[in-house]
Amino acid sequence: MDRLDLLRGPVPPRPHDARAIAALAANPGCARRAVLDAAGIDKDATATHLGFPAPFGQSPFAITRGNVFESLVKESGCAELLRLLRDILDLPIPLAAYNDLGDVGGNPSAHLRHSHTRKLIDRAARDADDAGTLYDHPLLRLDIAGHSSYLEPDVVAFRLGGLFRIVEIKSFAVVDGQAEPDKVAAAARQAAVYVLALRNLLRELGHDPGRVSHDVVLVCPENFANRPTATLVDVRRELAVLKRQLARMTRVGTMVDALPPELTFDLARDADGVPTRPVAELREAVRGVDARYAPDCLSTCDLCFFCRDEASAEGSTDLLGRQVRDALGGVATVAEALGLADGSLTPDEGQEEIARLLRLADRIYAEVS
Amino acid sequence: MSTLAALARLRALQTGTAKRLATVRHCHLSERPMVFIPLRLAGEAAAPLAAMAGTDPARPRLLVVPQPRDRDLRFAFTAELAEILLPYVEGLQKATETVERRGAEPYERCLDAPQLIVPNRGAVAFVHMLGRSTRFRRAEGPYAVHPSVPVLGRWLTFLAQRAQYPGSAVLLAATEALSLHWATGQSMLEDANLASLLGWIDPPAGMTGASAAREAEDPLVWPPAGPATDPGFDTEVLVPAIRAYEQRPTERAAARVGEAVRTQLEPTWGLMWRAIDLLGGLPAGPGTAARWEADRASFTNFTAQLAEGGPPQPKRDGAVGAASRLARMERAQASYDAQRAYDDPLVMAGHRLTGEAFTGTVVATDPDHTEGEGRGRKLRPLLTIRTTDPARLAPGARLGTPERRGQQAEVVEIAGGLVTLKIIKGMGRGKAATPGAVPEVGERVCYAALSDEFQPPASLPAPEDTPWTHGGPPPEHVPADEDPEEEWS
Amino acid sequence: MSETLDDLEERINELRGEIRRAVRAREGILARSLRAELRTAERAWDHAVAASEPPGTDEPPPGSLLPVREQVHQALTLLGVPAAAKMIVAVHGALRAGSLKGAQLTSLRRDEERSFGTSPFARPYYLCAALTDRLSASRGLLAVSTWPLEQRVVGPLSPRVDFLTTAIRVAEHILRLAETGEQAPPSAQRLLSRLAQNIPGATPYGHGTRHLATGLTLAGPGTASGAGVAGGFAEPDPAVVVKAAQAELGVHAAADAAARAEIAGRARDRLRDAERLFGGTMLSLARTRAAGREV
Repeated sequence: MDRLDLLRGPVPPRPHDARAIAALAANPGCARRAVLDAAGIDKDATATHLGFPAPFGQSPFAITRGNVFESLVKESGCAELLRLLRDILDLPIPLAAYNDLGDVGGNPSAHLRHSHTRKLIDRAARDADDAGTLYDHPLLRLDIAGHSSYLEPDVVAFRLGGLFRIVEIKSFAVVDGQAEPDKVAAAARQAAVYVLALRNLLRELGHDPGRVSHDVVLVCPENFANRPTATLVDVRRELAVLKRQLARMTRVGTMVDALPPELTFDLARDADGVPTRPVAELREAVRGVDARYAPDCLSTCDLCFFCRDEASAEGSTDLLGRQVRDALGGVATVAEALGLADGSLTPDEGQEEIARLLRLADRIYAEVS
Repeated sequence: MSTLAALARLRALQTGTAKRLATVRHCHLSERPMVFIPLRLAGEAAAPLAAMAGTDPARPRLLVVPQPRDRDLRFAFTAELAEILLPYVEGLQKATETVERRGAEPYERCLDAPQLIVPNRGAVAFVHMLGRSTRFRRAEGPYAVHPSVPVLGRWLTFLAQRAQYPGSAVLLAATEALSLHWATGQSMLEDANLASLLGWIDPPAGMTGASAAREAEDPLVWPPAGPATDPGFDTEVLVPAIRAYEQRPTERAAARVGEAVRTQLEPTWGLMWRAIDLLGGLPAGPGTAARWEADRASFTNFTAQLAEGGPPQPKRDGAVGAASRLARMERAQASYDAQRAYDDPLVMAGHRLTGEAFTGTVVATDPDHTEGEGRGRKLRPLLTIRTTDPARLAPGARLGTPERRGQQAEVVEIAGGLVTLKIIKGMGRGKAATPGAVPEVGERVCYAALSDEFQPPASLPAPEDTPWTHGGPPPEHVPADEDPEEEWS
Repeated sequence: MSETLDDLEERINELRGEIRRAVRAREGILARSLRAELRTAERAWDHAVAASEPPGTDEPPPGSLLPVREQVHQALTLLGVPAAAKMIVAVHGALRAGSLKGAQLTSLRRDEERSFGTSPFARPYYLCAALTDRLSASRGLLAVSTWPLEQRVVGPLSPRVDFLTTAIRVAEHILRLAETGEQAPPSAQRLLSRLAQNIPGATPYGHGTRHLATGLTLAGPGTASGAGVAGGFAEPDPAVVVKAAQAELGVHAAADAAARAEIAGRARDRLRDAERLFGGTMLSLARTRAAGREV
């Protein structure tokens, strides 16, 4: 993986948190993103240096709200969570043991905390009964394109009988049994990352990874109060997508091998950490790996504005979104589509049908507007 | 998306300005709409932070919750919103007309109905949430609120529920109303940004739509139209202002929060009225009046329900209620699609592309053609139309025509660019067709397999006969004691 | 006054815009210097406003005459179990007059440790740490130094046991007040309701009709299933709470006591005085061990 280190330059790879890993599955066809992520490149810093800072940000109110709700669910040995688990999964009363895997004293390394998590999860997996029930702040690990990423989930792993489950706490509200679908989807994608990491851990320890349930317990505030409610969410689909994308990233090697040997995305930071790489040079480097821009990138990828600008300069129909691209039968550029529409361009083989439709649309549009 | 709409987007991108998708306006526009721009505290389901509301572009009312986590302040906000919305709604209940019905008692229908215009879908959802969080409150008891609050909640719920009905105009999202009439050179996702959408449709002088849209993405130039605020604004401005209010809840501290949110709302307020002007600049499609009439009837009904002291709308629909609602919506959608096509050649163009409709020139007619013998003999005028449209219609398909609404024709044969039809309805009851009912040779005509006729509702069991597979009969709605006492932190 | 309020406000708004621009462009140094300017301008505005305003009628909030550490000691003594700052504040607010704030507790344990370090056992009691089974200081839990070690250590079941004990103590306190004819303050009732909601059988509602699966479905990607557990308000009967909490306590007591005895035994063997109160240095031990393995 030396090649990836060269692409990144002399900085440590950017760790992937679950949100970032979950986002990997968002646009699996994008080579640019796959290469940059595999190399652990700070895409945010790259985008900023290119003059296209990412349009994201999280409101401090949302962050505070999330933290307050989480601590409410977890306070007093997860008293609220126990109530919910007793209710929806019939957790027996005696099973109330709580282990905070994050509370190991001081501020130890991720490596040390991970081995502590391994030890306790191993014991829990071996022991039938009294090895513990709730494991808060497990420090999990996931290999991404050859690099280990530590995941510091605010989740609780929970064991009942032989089965482990991931409990994910989210502060969006469930009102009358309904939550915003995209928030539930995002939570499911993230939870899938934890399920996969915990399964891998069990496998490494010689246990059956199938002992981690694909049903995660999603805990959210109910209605307009702070009181938590729990729902089981099946994340099998998200797991499948995630595994596919991670496998793809392991194969990123072939993609990287095809790149020119001198290519690097190094920002050439000076002693103060200020990037000194000429912007034009970096732009050329980034453009050396093909992107597949889609408007969805605007909410998931740090490089979105850069790629949109590039797509715009190329006159790509990707700019207009998937629905338009589908309606255009995959015609790649605006000029080509308009050329087919006004008849100035002869359709290639396989384009006859869409060309006919576009010419007809052009005629009818001119006739009525 | 239709090829036509896709092509319009391509042309918009090529020329730098939005392209029309409609020649007439397909949503009713009230003479006195109320603009409502709500802002929500980030991370909360229904915690209002502020709102701008009013019916006069020159006099927006600003409502502010200086500490959105304080439930008393939140309900003060809803009481204040009620002061604005309820008089508006109640003012429209007074003037009514008598509607005569065949075989039924005549009834009174309001001459007008409220129309709330909000920036985007998110705001529609927020109206729904705000309605849900207030309609069960009570004016007495442990968590008493001002008596206007639950009434407001019911009206907001009415508007939000009615808004799901295709073609209804009581609660419009500006971005959706505009997108119905214009195609931009950006994606639908980006069209959800009101400032950017208006940038394409109506760019400032000296700017292309594309560059205006880009500029509109800068939250410092154009704050988001809500309900979510710009995270940068939250961090730099709102957090310190709210903290200051928390430390010393003085008038001035409240005013500081107010001024902060005003900077975020005022630009959108201007955009909203520009959007209304743009829509108002289009001539109303003929079908808008009929759809607004349905809105007025619905408004009249709900007014009566409230007056009779009915309970607040339930939290969830029962199975039959949900199914019949779904069936109603599907019919409304089909009839809304058909009406727009008959009202607007540009919308009809989309159906012509798919072959559901065609336009052409009449080349032959047989106005006196009949079918059957003796007493069963019926007038069935024939006409043949030459078209270059790719009509994809089977013999026997029922067609309507925008030139002669109420007329129905049936496809006899389609061959080699010639379509033969027989008119089966709407040509008069005499031996010969009413003059003008059968198109003349040489006339341009359009026929479409779209029907906006009334169809009888799907037959569903009465709510009390709900099968057990669907949860059995729903319990009669009794307002539960805990409803108003629901914790609201 | 050199600048008017209007000028200042305009300046403040400009600065805010510039800061947000700088933050978005990731120009940290510029943003910091702009923030400093903003603070100056805001201070100037505060001064100008204060000068234009009639003398304030605000008074400082009434504070308890007792030092913070004594108020915390009182609350902990009533509970008799290690507690987090949030619980201490809630208990104190519910049962005693006074206004303890969470922020006042943040540096308490460090101050106590420093005081103990300077002159060990000079005070009658110290507010100290609860110990985890790794013999380190538990994150966030406070205890009293005079308690036996068994009371101050935390085994896997101890958070639950301590939670149930807390509920019992709060309920008993309300019962004692009732015996003397005193009405418990509403804040005490609220605290008790909150605690009781999470104890099976402690509340008069909630585990009856609402317990039935309501078929909660989330409009989500996967199939969602499960039951919503709804909340509401009801005044729990303190005597019922005590009984219910004791019933569950009975289930856990033996296992918890055994775990605590084991941890306390280890703590006695391995920790020095100060470590027994403020947490061991297992971390450094573990670190050397981990480092040794890696080399």
